[in-house]
Amino acid sequence: MTAADLKFGQKAKIDSLDVEHPSSFRLLEYGFTPGEEIELINTPLFKDPIQLSIRGALIAIRKSDAKCINIKLN
Amino acid sequence: MPDKTTIQKTKLISLIGPPNSGKTTIFNYLSGQNYRTVNYPGATVEYSVSDFLKSFNINAKLLDSPGIISLSPKSPDEKVTVDSFFNHPKFGVADLVLLTVDASQLSRHLFLVEQVIRSGYNVIVVLTMCDILNSKGFDISLDKLKSMLGFDAVKLDGRNGDGLDELVNKIKLNHEKSENKKIVKHEFNEKDLMDIFNKTGNIEQEVLFSLNEYVPDVCKANLQLNVISDAKLRNKPDAKTIRYDKVFLHKYWGIIIFILIVSLTFTSIFWLSTPLMDLIDMLFTFLSAQADDLLGKTIFADFISNGLISGSGSVLVFLPQIIILFFILGILEDTGYLARGAMLIDKPLSKIGLNGRSFVPMLSGFACAIPAIMAARTIQNKKERLLTIFIIPLLSCSARLPVYSLLVAFLFPGSPFSSGLVLAAIYLFSIISSVIVSGFVNRFLPKIVNVSDKTSFIMELPAYRVPKFKFVLKNTLDNAGQYLKKAGPVIVIFSTVLWFLTYFPNTNPVIENQENIPQTELEHKINSERISTSYASNLGKVLEPVMRPIGMDWRIGVSLIATFTAREVFVSSLALILKATDSEEDLQQSIINQMNQAKIESTGNKMFTTSTTIGLIVFFVFALQCISTIAIIKKETGGWKIPVIQVLVFTFVAYLFTFLTVNGLRLMGIQ
Ligand SMILES: Nc1nc2c(ncn2[C@@H]2O[C@H](COP(=O)(O)OP(=O)(O)OP(=O)(O)O)[C@@H](O)[C@H]2O)c(=O)[nH]1
Ligand SMILES: [Mg+2]
Repeated sequence: MTAADLKFGQKAKIDSLDVEHPSSFRLLEYGFTPGEEIELINTPLFKDPIQLSIRGALIAIRKSDAKCINIKLN
Repeated sequence: MPDKTTIQKTKLISLIGPPNSGKTTIFNYLSGQNYRTVNYPGATVEYSVSDFLKSFNINAKLLDSPGIISLSPKSPDEKVTVDSFFNHPKFGVADLVLLTVDASQLSRHLFLVEQVIRSGYNVIVVLTMCDILNSKGFDISLDKLKSMLGFDAVKLDGRNGDGLDELVNKIKLNHEKSENKKIVKHEFNEKDLMDIFNKTGNIEQEVLFSLNEYVPDVCKANLQLNVISDAKLRNKPDAKTIRYDKVFLHKYWGIIIFILIVSLTFTSIFWLSTPLMDLIDMLFTFLSAQADDLLGKTIFADFISNGLISGSGSVLVFLPQIIILFFILGILEDTGYLARGAMLIDKPLSKIGLNGRSFVPMLSGFACAIPAIMAARTIQNKKERLLTIFIIPLLSCSARLPVYSLLVAFLFPGSPFSSGLVLAAIYLFSIISSVIVSGFVNRFLPKIVNVSDKTSFIMELPAYRVPKFKFVLKNTLDNAGQYLKKAGPVIVIFSTVLWFLTYFPNTNPVIENQENIPQTELEHKINSERISTSYASNLGKVLEPVMRPIGMDWRIGVSLIATFTAREVFVSSLALILKATDSEEDLQQSIINQMNQAKIESTGNKMFTTSTTIGLIVFFVFALQCISTIAIIKKETGGWKIPVIQVLVFTFVAYLFTFLTVNGLRLMGIQ
């Protein structure tokens, strides 16, 4: 399961990042490290990009980028 | 060489930090400058250097830079920072780095701090947004932070400057004692990143303490509970912001509010500015009348009242609209909403080859294309960035406002309400055209430039804030001042040249049968005779074959050529070329009167009809008539290819569509 599959209001722990994905390095720099908790806060009209919270910050992220975040539901 | 040693002695102090962490705010405090600080990640896209305020007595250069997430740049604005950081072309390597850290996002922002420290720099950490941290119920122990980082740290409240003195003292102390270790430009890999985050996560846990612990009668069990929930609480985003986002990013409400905000922004520009415009108009009409009265009917008087006063007045009238536009955009930006706008519109924009990050550059393109094109640096993907730059000139910049306002007022005399609506419609038209052009060029761009990096959209959404009206207003007035400085001299010079070209060589034309003609008509005859035998007319005749198919004559042709220096010039050059200075009425009205009377010389038909006026509007929507824009595009795209293509394509499209509009309308029976 990846962060792109999260439902409205769902929380999850980051399991790993897909290093093949071109955005993985940037996401790591934004603080998406394994073990951190993320939450899906909002999905606006087109359901893409989605709004995640990580380490106290709110990040807007396209689903295609969120795909590289592998998660475990809490 | 004594010179060289003094140059080397100028120390460089760099402000580095993540986007929206308060760098420019601190820069302004320390340098007394007034750069733009707004609640949008990516407000600064170019570094700026300044001396410290004299009163601080620090002999060094201070450098502000675009925000960066890490020392591995991904977008051009980040590259500006990282490049100048490791080796500034003029000042070399920074001797001291002031690292701004948003205290409410400690573990994320300390990440960059750690990278900079590992590179060997001598740093002071400046903690901003402590107020936001406090509102979450936490505070930070500076001593612990200092000892864990091994560097000095200070709190600074960006809202009122509390802590500034301490920062200044620390800079002075550090300045004398500490210096960089050996600077190494690391290539950080994934493992390093995780390592660093491990460390910053630890630091966060150690240095933050819950404000609740100070409540005296909290029992142990409660404390225990607090400690357990601490981590969760710490990592909770600003509660107020989440509440607002439930509305602003709501599935349906979000988009409705977005459309409302954007359309209200544009329509209010016209409705709010009318009374102010009337005021300025009155002032210039008064001046022009005074000049006429004082100086009589001499060449000099004609130059002053026709050349200078109405030339500059016809442009200054539109200053209120420009100020209001800048002001509303500034307020919107400072609330933190624009980042949400970027997010909401990312999906539709991605369909035409753009990115959510194109939104803010495009929006500022409605004020002026030049800062807008620079703002496109925040777009990572090269193709999306070039495409954004490509279409920005199509968006109605404020320099077109004077032109549209005049033409619309001509079409709908005495009806500000419908004028407002029509102006809004022109804006909509320019947006739609840019969307179509973008979708079209998106297909061809891969053939023009070779780019294939992957597109993505990851953007931090800042906390909502009450905008600082005072700062925004100050910024707006600064912008307006710059606009005047830029446009002012051009307009004066151009008015002078154009006045000369329209007044000479036949300064005293002979009119036959003078006795039978009433005085006012005689004056009019003299004026038009003078112009049609003038240098301007000789030059303009060359344009006649191009202008005839679109129902206009050389006079508009000359005005259109004039607009390549700056679009606003169109209005003043029309005023001049039609000799519109009737001291009885206000300026805009007298231009409109002259437009009503103007006839095409060869045929005697009316020149400004519904069809030609709409045609002119269409021309202005598409044509790229702005030398400064062309220059900045050349600089930002690193070559002449894109700007040359733009000028050729947009001029051709402008002419073609004007031709189609004018003749299409005529076929439909609209003259
Ligand atoms: N509440 C609060 N707001 C602050 C503080 N310091 C700065 N701000 C606000 O934070 C916003 C961002 O500040 P800037 O100085 O523009 O940030 P920057 O680091 O230059 O941002 P970029 O140029 O986009 O990288 C502005 O709206 C500031 O007024 C602070 O201590 N507390
Ligand atoms: Mg800044």
